[in-house]
Amino acid sequence: MSGIMTIAWKEFKGFAKSPTFYIMLAMLTLILSLLFTIQLQKFFQAGSMAMMQPGMGAQLNIHYTVFLNHLQILNLLLIFIVPAITMRLFAEEKKLRTFDLLLTSPLKSYEIVLGKYLGALMALFVVFAIAFAYPLGTALFADFSWAPLIIAFFGIYLIAAIYAAMNLFCSSLSESILISYVMAALLNIAVWFVSQGVEFADSQWARNILEHISLSFHISGLIEGTIRTNSLIYFFSGIGLFLFLNERVVESHRWR
Amino acid sequence: MIEVKNLTKEYGSLKAIDNVSFSIKKGEVVGFLGPNGAGKSTTMKIITGFMAPSDGSASVAGFDVFENPIEVKKRIGYLPETPPVYADQYVSEYLRYVAQLKKVPKDKLNTYVERAIEKTNLGSVKNRLIHHLSKGFKQRVGIAQAIVSDPEVLILDEPTVGLDPKQVAEIRDLISELKGHHTIILSTHILPEVQATCEKVVIISKGKIVAQDTIDNLSKLEKGQGRIFVRLRKEVSDLRTVISGIDEVLSVDVGTTKKEWRIDYKGDDETIDKVSSRIVSNGLGLIELTPSRVDLEDVFLKLTYGMEKGG
Repeated sequence: MSGIMTIAWKEFKGFAKSPTFYIMLAMLTLILSLLFTIQLQKFFQAGSMAMMQPGMGAQLNIHYTVFLNHLQILNLLLIFIVPAITMRLFAEEKKLRTFDLLLTSPLKSYEIVLGKYLGALMALFVVFAIAFAYPLGTALFADFSWAPLIIAFFGIYLIAAIYAAMNLFCSSLSESILISYVMAALLNIAVWFVSQGVEFADSQWARNILEHISLSFHISGLIEGTIRTNSLIYFFSGIGLFLFLNERVVESHRWR
Repeated sequence: MIEVKNLTKEYGSLKAIDNVSFSIKKGEVVGFLGPNGAGKSTTMKIITGFMAPSDGSASVAGFDVFENPIEVKKRIGYLPETPPVYADQYVSEYLRYVAQLKKVPKDKLNTYVERAIEKTNLGSVKNRLIHHLSKGFKQRVGIAQAIVSDPEVLILDEPTVGLDPKQVAEIRDLISELKGHHTIILSTHILPEVQATCEKVVIISKGKIVAQDTIDNLSKLEKGQGRIFVRLRKEVSDLRTVISGIDEVLSVDVGTTKKEWRIDYKGDDETIDKVSSRIVSNGLGLIELTPSRVDLEDVFLKLTYGMEKGG
């Protein structure tokens, strides 16, 4: 356990010192700020219109019109943010031969993988803290219910976690940071397309299958503020699968 | 302490090491000698549990490297060819990280890190980013990293590469200082280094062990064979004619000038007696006569290059 935390903490400190991480956060802030204010403005305009036309106000809900859009944007950005966080975790170690140090330390392969994964999750937590600052700021002048918002954030964080597991696996396959980034981003886009495929599938049969493997189907419950066990199982088994594959890759280094 | 039996490693069809066996006792300092690509690093990597062999077994302190890799790794400090340092860490921060990875108990972390810094003379740079250090300093950080957990076994892959002569001398002193307390294997292709630091030598060529012995024994590889240098006052066109008839003399070679000669013989000290009396009676003016051992370089070249040439 201590080995996992040692690696995780070292990686997190690495992010805190890395200029790339700050540039990424700055770009994220820029995009989110632009789009969030537009959403908010639209919502308030619609709100003032609704006051003049009785009956319209019933459809207005800040959770759906502002926060969910905010999270959808974040969800989309994660496709490119998560690979940027995980790309160097294994690829760079292999390239700079510092991987030798980890492989000759008294650590099991899974400890190395989990350490790196936790480090990535910590960095993602910073990303989410920034995204959460927007609804937090909105709370200064609007009143809304927190529980569905927090559950929705938790849902998107699970998506980020599943991306992180996939992308960390990509990083372990290559010695090049660039290849690892591109591979990871493509994989994320592919997964994202599965969700889109649900709408285009003709047969009910295919649609059912696609629906159950698509992220957006499983996230839709969480995003509306309800936690479903089958979705949680889906997310955790996805994370588990990729971490397991990752552990196999690390272990295979000892046998080649 | 270290037991290696019939170790073989194949990379595809290429045999990096072939049926290598040796054993090292506790506290010994062993030099691994061999030309580039002979299989030194591969052997070391297998002992550290970094890599698995295709065949054979290795054990450290009684623990098999493959059955019990964690126990083995706890007892080994390893410096790979490239020091495994992170550019974005400070020297002391890095050493602390390595000590934690090696499961040094929390309350001893600081003392261990301080000791490693002190032993490798890194005090002046301990608060600097590794990124900003010169190659020599990085190499020393690499060595500090290997000794930070105070391991029983130290495996150093070319520890003095990239260092200036003063630093090389410092590293040698350091290794001599660590002698006895640690069992040390170091690989190199710099011969004086082995002579200065090691008690025992394993010479490896093309994946096979061609010799393993103490330096003293290796230096007189062929039993009863010796070599003397003579310096004369007068020039001699050919010393061979002067000392012909002494059966024990194997070969006579000229040195830098015709006043200096090298004589190889097989026999005891009486041979030297015969040679010197012959020179003196011929009135050549014997100024200097030094018995010398065949040096390590000769042995090394004979065993590696010579074999290649001879087929």
